[in-house]
Amino acid sequence: MRRVAAAAALLAPVLATVLSACSGSTKDAAAPAASSAGPVKLTVWFMKDSFTDDVIDRFKAGFAKDHSGLALDIQIQEWDGIGQKVTSALASNDAPDVIEVGNTQVAEYAASGGVTDLTGKTTELQGADWLPGLAEPGKIDGKQYGIPWYAANRVVIYNKDLFAKAGITTPPATRDEWVADTTKLNKGVQRIYLPGQNWYTLAGFIWDEGGDLATSDGTAWKGGLDTPQAAAGIGFYKELQALGKGPKDSDEANPPQADVFAKGDVAQLISAPGGAGAILKANPALEGKIGFFPIPGKTADKPGAVFTGGSDLIIPAASTHQAEAYEVVKALAGEAFQTDMAKAMSYVPNRVAYASALAGNEGAEAMAKGAANGHTTPNTPNWGAVEAKNVIKDYMTKVLTGGDPQAEGTKASQVIAEILNTKS
Amino acid sequence: MRRVLLNLSGLVTLVIAVFPVYWMVLTAFKPTKDILSETPAFWPAHPTFEHFHTAVTTAGFWQFWRNSLTVTVSAVLLALVVAMLAAFAVARLTWRGRRAFTLLVFIAQMAPWEALLVSIFIISRDTGMLDKLSMLSLIYFMSTLPFTIVTLRGFLAAIPADLEEAALMDGCSRVSAFRRVVFPLLAPGLMATSLFGFITAWNEFAFANALIIKNQADRTLPVWLSSFGNVYGTDWGATMAASTLFMLPVLLVFLILQRRVATGMVAGAVKG
Amino acid sequence: MPIRRRRLEPGRMSGFWPYLLIAPTVLGAAYLLVYPVVRTVVISLQHFRIGELIRGGARFVGLENYQEILGDAEFWGVVRRTIAWTVINVVLIMVLSTAVALMIAKLGKRMRLAVMSALVLTWATPIIAATTIFQWLFQSQLGVVNWLLTTVGLDGFRGYTWFANGNATFTILVILVVWQSVPFAALTLYAGLTTVPGELYEAARIDGATARQQFTSITFPVLRTLFGLITSLEVIWVFKCFAQIWAISRGGPDGATTTLPVYAFQVAQSLHKYDLGAAVSTLTVLILIAILYVHLRQVER
Repeated sequence: MRRVAAAAALLAPVLATVLSACSGSTKDAAAPAASSAGPVKLTVWFMKDSFTDDVIDRFKAGFAKDHSGLALDIQIQEWDGIGQKVTSALASNDAPDVIEVGNTQVAEYAASGGVTDLTGKTTELQGADWLPGLAEPGKIDGKQYGIPWYAANRVVIYNKDLFAKAGITTPPATRDEWVADTTKLNKGVQRIYLPGQNWYTLAGFIWDEGGDLATSDGTAWKGGLDTPQAAAGIGFYKELQALGKGPKDSDEANPPQADVFAKGDVAQLISAPGGAGAILKANPALEGKIGFFPIPGKTADKPGAVFTGGSDLIIPAASTHQAEAYEVVKALAGEAFQTDMAKAMSYVPNRVAYASALAGNEGAEAMAKGAANGHTTPNTPNWGAVEAKNVIKDYMTKVLTGGDPQAEGTKASQVIAEILNTKS
Repeated sequence: MRRVLLNLSGLVTLVIAVFPVYWMVLTAFKPTKDILSETPAFWPAHPTFEHFHTAVTTAGFWQFWRNSLTVTVSAVLLALVVAMLAAFAVARLTWRGRRAFTLLVFIAQMAPWEALLVSIFIISRDTGMLDKLSMLSLIYFMSTLPFTIVTLRGFLAAIPADLEEAALMDGCSRVSAFRRVVFPLLAPGLMATSLFGFITAWNEFAFANALIIKNQADRTLPVWLSSFGNVYGTDWGATMAASTLFMLPVLLVFLILQRRVATGMVAGAVKG
Repeated sequence: MPIRRRRLEPGRMSGFWPYLLIAPTVLGAAYLLVYPVVRTVVISLQHFRIGELIRGGARFVGLENYQEILGDAEFWGVVRRTIAWTVINVVLIMVLSTAVALMIAKLGKRMRLAVMSALVLTWATPIIAATTIFQWLFQSQLGVVNWLLTTVGLDGFRGYTWFANGNATFTILVILVVWQSVPFAALTLYAGLTTVPGELYEAARIDGATARQQFTSITFPVLRTLFGLITSLEVIWVFKCFAQIWAISRGGPDGATTTLPVYAFQVAQSLHKYDLGAAVSTLTVLILIAILYVHLRQVER
């Protein structure tokens, strides 16, 4: 699958050999290759595993039909070293034309001066009902640099067979039920696979308590891990984590949690619903046995708080095809692509108006319920650095392996404050 | 008794040296289910080529392979030629500034390359060398050059100057004396030295990641190797298979050149 | 026994030839080493963050960055850690490789070949492959090391999280670096051992010298220069070691494996404080030069 996508990406310029200069919107004076001899080649960066190859192929086919003068070269980027790579791209003289950026990182790039200001396009893109979790991080000083693209939040993915065997018929709706049900699961299975550094999940537990990762009084940031709310949040995380055998010193990527679940003896894991695809790819025999429920909150009337993860699209200022790049952004943020990828990937589309595309999708419904209590990471350009330094992950491992939550939380909070209060 | 103890320690050394590599190759041949099993198997009970298949069929695998080889070989060859000239000047000729030059070459070995990443990025950008494999070659050439000069100087010093003088007496020119007398004796040293350059260039990730931006087709193997980590995690089997494949050329070069390296180092150190 | 080689043309300068011969080296270094170094030093004197990298127009701030770094307790902690890191690794590498070299020399022919081949295999393992292997070996749930330790009865290691503990991670990195470095040093030393004339040992044995005396009075003095060379190379390599640490721990957990090169990279690349990163790098080189000063003088001589 992955292979096909990348192959398609490499072949894109070859496939799109339509020789025509009728794209109409080549008002960009900086474009050196704006000769009428051939299609303008646009380089677009998607992150690895954001979309399946089918979704990308359908998009390319649709785009080629409407834009005969543009040839898309969609390149799949690896997560490893991506910060450095995007920075390099923004600083280069001939940058890619459109880049997918995580919503926790977009603020940093937007503030750097290397991203094109798209404030003037928000009306055309119907930005009025964009998901705030995607629109806000892309906005600095009232200017919109990042265009919301798609979002997802975590749900609990469970193995229906194992739940049935333990006599659990309806998924838990409150934390207490969740812990009780999890404890009830048979001894022979891993009740919940929760690695020690799934910090987005921890963030949810802290938000549930009314705390936050960091807060700002307008002039200075303060870390939030030294608060009683954070202590309560990680306390619950620890309790839950101890019910399974997830490694305390790594995140959901090591080992791949989908692979662990695919072995069939894991009852639950916390992931975006899209993770079910990876599970089925590893073990097709689980087809039909995978269920979803929102991460339970403290009371039944409110689901657990979740981190709204997702991506924005940016156009580097150094792209030599600004107008054409915008055409790509418009298509990716538009209805056709949004509804298609929402159905195929179980992602939340960028506008509330498109949300009906998710009807009937079990995973997406669970996600949508959770999304009602969605949160984002602190909105500052420096947040990316907190992630890069693994501050929260280190804190989690420390506490889970016996460290004092208060002492470790104070240390981590100091580091967070220090990073967030740096002038850039 | 001493014999047994000796052989035992030999065996321990052997196991320690080999085990990690063995474990890598073994993992590469295990089905994913066995890799994720809690009781490790020390023998491939159900060997599979599935991971190698995944690795080899990744888009562009052969291309990245070719890129790495091109960059590495050109960097190594360039370093050898340039270093040979400099080493000759240092080991055989008298000139003002020779000591200072030798000292500077030695200091140059200490250059912290990762720290120069930003400067080199800016310089490449401003001289239009971004997104070019040739720039990578040049950087790898430069990062191995100082070591190559120092080592070659050692090899050269180990070859008696008398031989060259005799050739000069016989009417050879300086150049042909070098070509006919010194070069054949130096050849093993040259090969040995190239090994270090080969490994350095073959392994490099940071520059390859930062300087190749839009030309995805110009990526090198280390960058490709990192591609097995993804949002759903590290695919250990494929990673190990990829690492095995990544290691093969180095192993090959080593098998051919290794013995001469050690001898060369000694020659250089004892007589330099 | 540093016997001066006779020059081809004693006492006479060789004219412009030498300069022509070193010209490519000098040119290459000017573009790819000296210029970047100068540029780095310049950046270390500027306010140079992500914005300046992209837009240009950095302004000079004098020694502010150095003041900030030198006044930061974290920096001095990193310096101390780097020195400890270097000393521990180099000592282990030198002791172990000397032992292995001496052992190889005494082994029977077949065993010797086997051990040497194994060492070559280790040596040939690319850094990236080696780091991946070690992460896999020490993985907490599925790693073979924990399985082994649990099996031999150390039950505390069931699911032990090596990479959660600073000292454990540090230890793994030391093991990795030593594992990777010993082959080169040992094989080189062994090659050196074979050049020591056998008569020297015979004479010593007749005089009743013990194995230890033989080593201290013959082997070591004869191979002094070789030991010196290998030690200084290892000091440089270990001190500068970056890829292994970065790949395995990113300097963590909690900074426990942050050495100077890692620190510089972190500051520059993760935090986008290129100016401070440049200052750290400059200081790093100065410290390394200071450490090797004594040795450099020997080379000069």
